[in-house]
Amino acid sequence: MPEHLLSPGHTACAGCGQALAARLVIDTAGPNTIIVNNTGCLEVFTTAYPESAWEVPFIHSLFENAGAVASGVESALRQTGRLDQIRVIAQAGDGGTADIGLQALSGMWERGHDILSICYDNEAYMNTGIQRSGLTPTYTSTTTSPAGKASAGNPRPKKNVMEIALAHGIPYVASASAGFPMDLQKKVKKALAIRGPKYLHIHVPCPLGWRHEPADTYRVARLAVETGLFPMVEFEGGQQTGAYTLSAPKPVAEYLKLQGRFRHLFKPGAEAALQEIQAIADRNIARYGLVKPA
Amino acid sequence: MSGNEVAGEAAVAAGCRFYAGYPITPQNQLTEYMSRRVPEVGGVFIQAESELAAINMVFGAAAAGARAMTSSSSPGISLKQEGISYLAGCELPAVIVNMNRAGPGLGDVTPSQADYFQSTRGGGHGDYRTITLGPQNLQELYDLTYLAFELADRYRNPALILGDGILAQVMEPVRLKPLRRVRPAPAWALTGCGDGPPRKILSLFLKPGVAEAHNWRLAAKYRRIEVREQRWDEFQVEDAKLVVAAFGSSARIARASVQAAREEGLAVGLFRPVSLWPFPYQPLRRLAEGRRRFLVVEMNLGQMVEDVRLAVENRGPVSFYGRPGGGVPTPEEILKVIRKTYRGAER
Repeated sequence: MPEHLLSPGHTACAGCGQALAARLVIDTAGPNTIIVNNTGCLEVFTTAYPESAWEVPFIHSLFENAGAVASGVESALRQTGRLDQIRVIAQAGDGGTADIGLQALSGMWERGHDILSICYDNEAYMNTGIQRSGLTPTYTSTTTSPAGKASAGNPRPKKNVMEIALAHGIPYVASASAGFPMDLQKKVKKALAIRGPKYLHIHVPCPLGWRHEPADTYRVARLAVETGLFPMVEFEGGQQTGAYTLSAPKPVAEYLKLQGRFRHLFKPGAEAALQEIQAIADRNIARYGLVKPA
Repeated sequence: MSGNEVAGEAAVAAGCRFYAGYPITPQNQLTEYMSRRVPEVGGVFIQAESELAAINMVFGAAAAGARAMTSSSSPGISLKQEGISYLAGCELPAVIVNMNRAGPGLGDVTPSQADYFQSTRGGGHGDYRTITLGPQNLQELYDLTYLAFELADRYRNPALILGDGILAQVMEPVRLKPLRRVRPAPAWALTGCGDGPPRKILSLFLKPGVAEAHNWRLAAKYRRIEVREQRWDEFQVEDAKLVVAAFGSSARIARASVQAAREEGLAVGLFRPVSLWPFPYQPLRRLAEGRRRFLVVEMNLGQMVEDVRLAVENRGPVSFYGRPGGGVPTPEEILKVIRKTYRGAER
């Protein structure tokens, strides 16, 4: 068996958080896994035909269809009595999960298929050149929400896909980060031991789109969690059963200032926008109990 | 300016103030350009959550009387087909830009002309046609995008620009027109009924004979468009024994091959359809009457060649040279085929 089920030599950028997380996921899931992938960076950089970085069966269909294709794969496995030996993972980026792929994903969850769906959230359409998505955070500069004189970047809040997943009443919903590999692997293992629909939302820095140093991927990923901007939480049976807690949350500026996509927030006149982002982190901290009372 | 930006600027000049798009290579710069440019002129830019949403936003904006546009590339255009069929059925004007890439499936992001059938035969379900224009350079892309808005309005019909990955990415200088005044909402648009009767826009006709009557009315409109809106370009065809027929980027490449063939003393010309629907059958038929041989060059497995055969109607032999799946022919490559085909023409 190869050392990793996602082989090196694929065409991801240096410091790609998604490549790191995807390898951790598939290495944890093991060889008896079928991957169903939406269109996106992960699909493109791992499958430049006739080459493939995947050491497990892999299928790609359209941008919006992983939920439906995975439903078909899972149903066929169930019908032929092979579902006890094989795990199905439906994976996509943030656009493929929260925008164009949401309808198929919702159908898949609602029908109760035994599938782990994963969102690798790098917070914009990176494959096509950094256009905003429904998961782009407030005041991010992207090519379709450029910051400038008239705009501080994306004016809308980041969509909460965790809550959407929970609204389907599925047994397991969790968020993880490329900056916390042990936690990520633990959650993949746990999710795959549960039958039925599971959702794992993984925060993955993108040095190209976020405009940070490739060497800072890990640091940036950790800061997103340590500031409260990306809460790492776990829900079982609809109830919150876990959270990565912080003894003292760091100010959001520490996270933002490492990234070119937020550079405009550190110019004079942007103080209010910066405060709004701090308020988002504070709300997350209160809502998910990210700071344990002393 | 790049082709993507040129198409966007042409729309703004034509008075388009509503654009909805979704990312797909190789047309991303068009969406990006519009995200800055449309708000600048007081219009609305929306990045939709999918291509399906984008075309239906255009449907809504057109119904409410706006000049509206969306753009995409082949896989995204496939997703828009349902909306395009409804635009045609409801007779709403809109402009759709397709920067054609290779298929089928996700294919490749390289240039292609494989969406010719999809563009000129309707594309979605039902018996309809979309006006389709095939520019070969950026000035033409600008002028034809501008024109597409006029034609879409005049005939209350969706109009397509069929470009490709070359046209989308290449940079050329373009002569711009002054910005056209934004036209008021047409008399049929949904603008709130006030004291008058409410207007309704729909394409469901369940009473016996009504859908057929609607289709006959559309057929008469398509006939008017076929008669009035054929556009084409000819290059050294008068004395030509062999006429190369090509559109868009293939035509631009083939023109260099035709010139090289002329320098070798071969009587070769170029016929270039500019409107792909309506296809310029009449002028091509006239050429065919002069006992010529035809060579159709396309970046696909042979689609426009069927229209050329319909025009020529066995008056002369029609052969085909194509490169599918993102292959782009070189002028030398086409010249070789011209030489070979020409020998047939002299016999």
